[in-house]
Amino acid sequence: MQYELRTLVIEPRRKTFTNLAERYGDRPASRYEEGSVEIQATENFHYRPLWDPQHELFDPRWSELRLTDPDSFTDPRQYYYAPYVTARAHLHEAFAATLDYLDKRGLLARLPGPWAALLGGLVIPLRHYESGAQMISTYGCRFAYGSTVEQCCSYAAFDRVGNAQLLSRVGLALGDGSDALLAEAKAAWTGAAALQPLRRLTEELLVEKDWAVALTGLDLTDQLLYALAYRHLDEAALLGGAGGYSLIAQHLASWFADQRRWIDALQAAWAADPQYGAANAAALAAAAEQVMPRAQVAVGALAAAADELVGADCGPAVAAAAQAARSTITALTAPKEAR
Amino acid sequence: MTTPTKKVREVGVDLQESEENRAIIEAVEADNADCAVRHMPGLVRITTPGRLVINRTSVESRLGRDWETHEFQLAIVSYFGHIAEWDDDQIVIQWDH
Amino acid sequence: MTATPRKLSMKQRYAALTRDLDWDLSYVDPAEAFPYTTFEGITVHDWSQWEDPFRLTIDAYTKYQAEKDKRLYAVLDSFAQSQGHLQLADPRYLNAMKLFLQGVTPLEYAAHRNFAFLARFLNGPGPRFAALCQCEDEIRHAQTEIHTLSNYNKYYGGMHNWHAQHDRVWYLSVPKSYFDDALSAGPFEFLIAIGFSFEYLLTNLLFVPFMSGASFNGDLPTMTFGFSAQSDESRHMTLGLEAIKFLLEQDAGNVPIIQDWIDKWFWRGYRVTSLVAQMLDYMLPRKVMSWKEAFELYFEQQMLGGLFPDLSYYGIKPPRHVSQAMAEKDVLSHQVYWTLYQFSFAAAFTTTIPDEEHLDWLSAQYPDTFDRYYRPLWDKARRVVDSGGRFFYQGLPQLCQVCQIPMLFSEPGDPAMLCQRHSVYRGERYDFCSDGCQWIFDREPEKYVQAWLPVHQIYQGDCGGPTVPDVLAWYGLAEGDSGEYEGSVEQADWKRWHASPAERS
Repeated sequence: MQYELRTLVIEPRRKTFTNLAERYGDRPASRYEEGSVEIQATENFHYRPLWDPQHELFDPRWSELRLTDPDSFTDPRQYYYAPYVTARAHLHEAFAATLDYLDKRGLLARLPGPWAALLGGLVIPLRHYESGAQMISTYGCRFAYGSTVEQCCSYAAFDRVGNAQLLSRVGLALGDGSDALLAEAKAAWTGAAALQPLRRLTEELLVEKDWAVALTGLDLTDQLLYALAYRHLDEAALLGGAGGYSLIAQHLASWFADQRRWIDALQAAWAADPQYGAANAAALAAAAEQVMPRAQVAVGALAAAADELVGADCGPAVAAAAQAARSTITALTAPKEAR
Repeated sequence: MTTPTKKVREVGVDLQESEENRAIIEAVEADNADCAVRHMPGLVRITTPGRLVINRTSVESRLGRDWETHEFQLAIVSYFGHIAEWDDDQIVIQWDH
Repeated sequence: MTATPRKLSMKQRYAALTRDLDWDLSYVDPAEAFPYTTFEGITVHDWSQWEDPFRLTIDAYTKYQAEKDKRLYAVLDSFAQSQGHLQLADPRYLNAMKLFLQGVTPLEYAAHRNFAFLARFLNGPGPRFAALCQCEDEIRHAQTEIHTLSNYNKYYGGMHNWHAQHDRVWYLSVPKSYFDDALSAGPFEFLIAIGFSFEYLLTNLLFVPFMSGASFNGDLPTMTFGFSAQSDESRHMTLGLEAIKFLLEQDAGNVPIIQDWIDKWFWRGYRVTSLVAQMLDYMLPRKVMSWKEAFELYFEQQMLGGLFPDLSYYGIKPPRHVSQAMAEKDVLSHQVYWTLYQFSFAAAFTTTIPDEEHLDWLSAQYPDTFDRYYRPLWDKARRVVDSGGRFFYQGLPQLCQVCQIPMLFSEPGDPAMLCQRHSVYRGERYDFCSDGCQWIFDREPEKYVQAWLPVHQIYQGDCGGPTVPDVLAWYGLAEGDSGEYEGSVEQADWKRWHASPAERS
């Protein structure tokens, strides 16, 4: 049967799902909205977790930090699964092209000695840091309250493994295809003095029970670490004739810019929450105060070791990043003036 | 006197029936002597007693381009048996015991 | 001359990029980082024995998944643009997909959250990474299902409030409680319950009927979704099979624990598939196969005939109560749909009396039971309709404490007798539909007494108010969602949309 669609106009009975129409008004919802907003169960759970009978299966009380309406937070990147994997497929394709280029031009073999040592001894071991970061983010994926928040955590977790694999592939390339350098990198992560404060901090964040506090601590550490390893040292590498380093670092730096978008938005949502804003701000400030000194020590140790190798004024760079992070938190969490 | 033969349990794979998968289907048919191929709507079911193997080079020669075994992800709908091996050159499905 | 660098095999490269990222914690107590790995009594001696058949690193994963999604969403977009819903064989078919969106999609999301739990708390890096990939796959499934069905939601009822209904409506507490049971369990039980029992043992019994039903009834997007998701499912099946073999091989002490979990989760999962049984036999206008055929192929042949002989090597037996499931295949779908027929005024789907052709098909598929026990019921329902009525049950059903299905199942061997079991726990009586559910309760009564039983909750006043309209409003049911298909909003819409220009003018 042929339809003359020009003459038959079928009015939809509704533009989207009822709960989304109630939230956003009578308009078609985006795929992000339909797939991400109000997906998690919130009521009438049947059984308490055997492993934590004080809480429900999904429970806002797993963190001090709360949102009155968790689904009011949305990912500024609008990542649901399809655009997320597409974006990351592009990232990895670009990285593969970089690796290919590095290989064809022998740029890793041609790294000046100190830069090769920095890459192998200080940066490749960060694959383990990324692995720890993945587990911390995964914890948020299970225990965050609200599907829009946890979805960001789940992609962040996957991203961290992606970063770890990216660094591992650099390690394989640097080692001419063998995993010898990866073994050395693990030994450095486990035992080299410059990396112990960072490893210690990672492990402590891993056992932090409040998922939001853990993610905040991780983000603060990231801010210092990424500023050092993938922006400051990127610049220094270019000046120091180690272009290969810069080519690698750009991928991680651009990833981090993407990552911060949702974390910034979430922290802003916490601080601005109509009911919990003040308490959230206090908790955020406290978490920052708790972690920042340790992060500074940890990344500072890396900076010192980097300076010993390549003399790039890493120490001041880390201090500046810490100052910037502190200012942001302070601005975000300062008590609001009464109107 | 004949010894009763133990029945060999079948393993198998369901593939999406598409132009792209034609090479894979042909490669599997060629490399697994006792296999049976059944066409259903949109789907091709290949079963064989005991062990089913997909060889990269066999697919490539029919496809006319490089093919990595990971691409099998795009073709597979389902399988039964145990994936005994999946490396750069081949995928093997069989039962363990 | 430099030595040729040893190029890593795929297996070695994969290990370097996944499990080798792990390290021994020394600044914190490992038991604090992994607090849940011993309380279930499972023993793992050597995590390095875990096999990774699929070996997808993140770059390959994102590349192939992005490609799959590109193809799927192209179909969804084209379907929407072309008013593809008009190509359905019959709009009654959509009742199956209403049930799917309300009942199955939320389980995909719950699986996403709980594979994250495994990805964090399993004390082995190999399975942690596999669990993380599955965590991502499951949100893909939840979202692609929502997006696939979103277009139908615009034109047909029963889908617009799926999320709230999963948490509130009586028949949906069946799948909800099933997954809550898994979410509340420890990591190893979840791995066996969902990774193995659901994603391997029962997956084809759930998935193939829905997807084949879509194919046979003109539902192009759902069929496309089904093909697209199935390749993820092959990874999930692999994880489940690897999980069970790994745990069985690690320690003989794990065998009885796992056997118990197989027994429990087969039965709980099997009871959830009652909803699939009635869908196959009653809701699909164009029939794919009968429940009996599906059960014989996907469970008896493939699992009992294929998988369990493999597992017997470890001392694992087929699931306890499996013989009852086999015996029930001649009666299950009929008992369930007869109940849904009577209660669909309170459901987010419509039901109707099967027409003559359909009744004859059921007779042919079920020669031992249909004409004797169930055709007379439909004849009675027909007489009521022919005299201007429509039979709905005026009351609330008793629910099984465990599976939460109304107590509609019959005694093994006697289709004319309702099966009722009960146990007393701490002075209170709890009722069950079967030996299987009673056995599950008696193992863990402290868990099952917590259940939020929809009928109990209605009586306790927790469901919007004391009257039926109060409850239906609280369920978020709107006009056109429920009741009888004949004379329904969607039947009228369908006729109007398919009317010839002459009929319309």
